[in-house]
Amino acid sequence: MVFSSIPFLFFFLPLCLLLYYAVPFAAKNGVLLVFSLLFYAWGEPVYIVLMLFASAVDYANGRLMGRFGTTKKRRRLFLVCSVVINLSVLAFFKYADFLVGTFNALLGTSVTKPGLGLPVGISFFTFQSMSYIIDLYRGQVPVETNYLTYLTYVSMFPQLVAGPIVRFSAVNRKLHQRQIRREEIENGILRFMQGLFKKVLIANRAGALWESIRALETGQTSVATAWLGAAAFTLQLYFDFSAYSDMAIGMGRMLGFHFPENFRYPLAAVSVTDFWRRWHISLSSWFRDYVYIPLGGNRVSVAKHLRNILIVWFLTGLWHGASWNFVLWGLYYGVLLALEKYVWGKKMEKWPAAVRHLYTLLIVVVGFVIFVFDDWRELGRYLLLMAGCAGSRVWGGECLWYLRNYAVVLTAAAVLAFPVYPRLKEKAGQLPAGLRAAAAVVCAAGYVVLFLAATAYLVSDTYNPFLYFRF
Amino acid sequence: MTADRKIRGITAWLLAGAVLALTAAFLVSPRQTFSENENRWLAEFPAFDRESLFSGQYMTDIGTYLSDHFPFRDFFMGLKTQTELAEGCREIEGVYIADDGYLIERYEKPVNTEKIGEILHTFAGKIEALGEERESGLNLRLMLVPTASCILSDLLPDHAPGYDQGETMDRLQELSGIRMIDCGPFLREAREDGQIYYRLDHHWTTFGAYAGYLAFCREMGLEPVPLEEMESRTVTSDFKGTIYSKVNDYTAAGDTITIYENPADRLTVNYTDTGETGGSLYNLDYLDQKDKYSLFLDNLHSLIEITNETAETDRELVLLKDSYANCLVPFLVRHFQKVYVFDTRSYRLGPSGFIGEHPGVTDILILYNMNTLDSDLGIRAIY
Repeated sequence: MVFSSIPFLFFFLPLCLLLYYAVPFAAKNGVLLVFSLLFYAWGEPVYIVLMLFASAVDYANGRLMGRFGTTKKRRRLFLVCSVVINLSVLAFFKYADFLVGTFNALLGTSVTKPGLGLPVGISFFTFQSMSYIIDLYRGQVPVETNYLTYLTYVSMFPQLVAGPIVRFSAVNRKLHQRQIRREEIENGILRFMQGLFKKVLIANRAGALWESIRALETGQTSVATAWLGAAAFTLQLYFDFSAYSDMAIGMGRMLGFHFPENFRYPLAAVSVTDFWRRWHISLSSWFRDYVYIPLGGNRVSVAKHLRNILIVWFLTGLWHGASWNFVLWGLYYGVLLALEKYVWGKKMEKWPAAVRHLYTLLIVVVGFVIFVFDDWRELGRYLLLMAGCAGSRVWGGECLWYLRNYAVVLTAAAVLAFPVYPRLKEKAGQLPAGLRAAAAVVCAAGYVVLFLAATAYLVSDTYNPFLYFRF
Repeated sequence: MTADRKIRGITAWLLAGAVLALTAAFLVSPRQTFSENENRWLAEFPAFDRESLFSGQYMTDIGTYLSDHFPFRDFFMGLKTQTELAEGCREIEGVYIADDGYLIERYEKPVNTEKIGEILHTFAGKIEALGEERESGLNLRLMLVPTASCILSDLLPDHAPGYDQGETMDRLQELSGIRMIDCGPFLREAREDGQIYYRLDHHWTTFGAYAGYLAFCREMGLEPVPLEEMESRTVTSDFKGTIYSKVNDYTAAGDTITIYENPADRLTVNYTDTGETGGSLYNLDYLDQKDKYSLFLDNLHSLIEITNETAETDRELVLLKDSYANCLVPFLVRHFQKVYVFDTRSYRLGPSGFIGEHPGVTDILILYNMNTLDSDLGIRAIY
């Protein structure tokens, strides 16, 4: 079930929240757990077993570590056991086809691919669950003694399928004791709605633009259109992903939790290093804390530091999908980050801000083109188009056509990708009380209008008629 | 608490209230089974079984059911369209918002041309073999009717992307080897004198079909009946067809349908699949429905046998066609003692077999429109 859908928004979520608020505190985790399992089973009626298994393994190893982990060696045994099982499950269900495919390509064999479907959210919940056992090993969190509470943490529906990756340490206290304040619920509702608007009104439509440009033949695509397409995909990905995080964080608040922020206007970054401090923060900090720093981070020789960067970015790329283009995408960033660190990072600080923005955006947009094509030939074709090496015109009427049809969406997306809204809000906060109230009324009207528009898109989306069948 | 923070809180509860109100409206409103506006049956609540549960189909179906019966569905779909129109979008759901109130479907890149060409070629081979056994031979013609996006291309918004229907037609002629009737020039000429396509539907008007008829007569050496000699009747001015249903711009005014009848004809129309027989090529009962184009030849029938006692000749025509032909038939019947109208989407026995068994057949016309040709499964079942 996706958040931006009629079943979720109008049925699942209201029912869940009404029950959640109605029951006494002792039963709240229970309600949350039941609905989370329902949520997962709705999309993955079979693989839910996998999630139950993975969380049971981590829970059990946690208990064993608590009971028998008297020496570091023993503690490490339980840690290794848990991590190996987690990663094996992930490798098997997410990467088996990819590994077999690569194996076949390298050795010219033809081993049959297992052809397993990817369980929804497996990369997210595996990483969440691993954060618990690693932090427990490090003595940073206490043992969770109640399996149902642990399962509630792993399966919590707001962040189950698309992040943010919420570590156990971030919610441990709230799992056992939390207050649900009215103001938090209100903030949560508004945050959720912002995410819904971003997803439905911007991401989906930027995605439609990208899909139509992607489908064009080389001869029909001018260089400008190719760049417009890449920009549209960048906007789609950012708004889609950050909208999901917004909705997750909003629902977390409604439930009394505080999930970490996952995006901080990444497209407004002034360097690649800066970009990765703002994009999918919960993932990059996960890799930082559990891979990069344990490897020695940057407090080692230059050669080892470079090795660490490449390892982390190889894994970051691979985490995104079982295909070599994701690995290439990760390494692309690894190399650029190393270059910024050792070659031109210092000089960059003297560049004008506009140049730094442009530099970062170019890298990010090209990066997402690598990200989107899992077919090498397609990727090559598109990159050549963008580079102007495919023999296309620089500019064509079709570009004007797309700009015209998507002018409003693209403008809104471009403005909202920069921290304009928080700045306006801050400015509004300094107004005299009367004007502040007036601004709040305007804002309220905006929310209602956008809600109706988003609902209109949700309803129309399913409108998929076989007109010729009946006419 | 300050006023603005209070208002912010109220905003949140207003939105929550709106969600709950829509949910409540869903629960209390009576279920519709058919959407008049979209001209389709709405989803029913899925039946439960283990298999669909484990495959996830059950949940998908519930999602479809909830959306299909969402309260104020028509309002919301119209709202989406008005939002996009206000933004200056000139394409909605693959339909161009063209000049003069025309909604024109985009001609998609054809992907089945080679396959269709091959099928037509096979069919032509069979017909040639059959024709050799007959004294008079068999005249086989192919008429591919260009659609509005081709003939009215000057009304399309600037830079609207599209493919060339002419290229596809040429390729199909080459592949099939069947003699083609090019009605394009006739349509372009007719356009000067009247409306040849509906503004809100993907079909040609009866006036457009008359232009196609002129092209047919020129090719077959027939003397066309002047339009003035036919009795014309405007049967509705409120026809909102398929494209209207795709776009959902409720402010659009309906199209006019004019029908023509030749007083000289004495017709018997036999719908062989239902066994019904009548004297008219029109079923005006459809005027009460949304789907008004169905009034031509009573919508879909796998085989219709039309006899004209007062026809000009004793020739017999086999017409293999899609719905475009339904409003052309009233002009054709003057020239043929019998017209057999096949809808190959539902006629499964193979028209070539039928032609073999009917020695009276002298002429065969294959008629499809360019827009649905590529996705039309009927033409693939032609032999």
